[in-house]
Amino acid sequence: MSLQIASTESRSLLLGAREAIPLLGGYIPVAISFGLIAIQSGFSGWEAVLISTLVYAGASQFLFVAMVASGAPLWFVVLMTLLINARHVVYGPNIAPWLNKNRWWPWLMHGLTDQIFALALVRLPQLEARERMGWYIGASIVAWFSWIGGTALGAVAGKELTQRWPLLGEIMPFALPALFLVLLAPRFASRLWAITLGSTAIVALLFAVSGMKNAGIPIAAVCGALVYYGLSSLVRNKVQRSRGARDG
Amino acid sequence: MDSELWIALLATAIGTFLMRALPLLWMQRHLVRKQAGNSLDAMPSWLTVLGPLMIAAMFGVSLVPSKVSTQAWLATAIGTLVTYLVWKRTNSLGWPVFVGVVVYGGVILLANVAA
Repeated sequence: MSLQIASTESRSLLLGAREAIPLLGGYIPVAISFGLIAIQSGFSGWEAVLISTLVYAGASQFLFVAMVASGAPLWFVVLMTLLINARHVVYGPNIAPWLNKNRWWPWLMHGLTDQIFALALVRLPQLEARERMGWYIGASIVAWFSWIGGTALGAVAGKELTQRWPLLGEIMPFALPALFLVLLAPRFASRLWAITLGSTAIVALLFAVSGMKNAGIPIAAVCGALVYYGLSSLVRNKVQRSRGARDG
Repeated sequence: MDSELWIALLATAIGTFLMRALPLLWMQRHLVRKQAGNSLDAMPSWLTVLGPLMIAAMFGVSLVPSKVSTQAWLATAIGTLVTYLVWKRTNSLGWPVFVGVVVYGGVILLANVAA
């Protein structure tokens, strides 16, 4: 019996690890850039790795290093980095219905990045309850270690790597939009969701083009919610009107 | 790093962790309080809508190429289309991403050779 449980756990751990592999295309090049920038900003290699291990939040790490290097007050550095990460507050509640009672879950939330959230929101409901923790650990460990390893690589040899293979850092990050698209694709079957998701993505894209990537994510999501509820109420009114006309 | 910088780093790390963990604890308690047979029914409806919207927003943001150029936008459009078509055919997670990246990279390389 216990052997069977162990085999289920290791199988789901491996499944999670395998399904997180597409994330590496996005994580490693960005982590290499972070390691390189941290070194150029006066941090040591170990310090860069420690930041990636403990904070583990892409954009805010870049901001942390840049603000410290520019001599900004430290309380302001902390405030701004936390502000960038504020969007993470909606991730945990969204996956909560699929998490079993286990005291380790809150600690595992350290690995709940944007991309792991996107993956977990789609995959956790499809898995059996006993497989979910193993899957989540497998996926988040691959992502976390790739981020830490990429930072170390960037700190040690980032300059040489970006000079030798300049196109690699340009091509590999396409894995992220490709993965997000695949995660959203099943919802395109519904016209309501297709319009909502399309308009959300366009608003976010426009914000990103204007250089406001981090603000763009929550604002675009709120715009998307307005589209969703607006369209839903329009459809409801239309149905009620046609029923009224039929009954009258 | 001096001690003040260490404190700033730890405050950022702990703050980020708490922003990820505390809302989960809040929702787990909310679900227990509601004691619904189906946990999804006990979720506020806006929250179930917000999840896919956050993914769509991340998708939109990540579409912007690291080096913006006409070729990069063309590669993004073709790569996105191919990713979707491969998903329609395979209904899997890994293959569409793999083929999408290969096609995106191929278009970028071709554009560089042509230029």
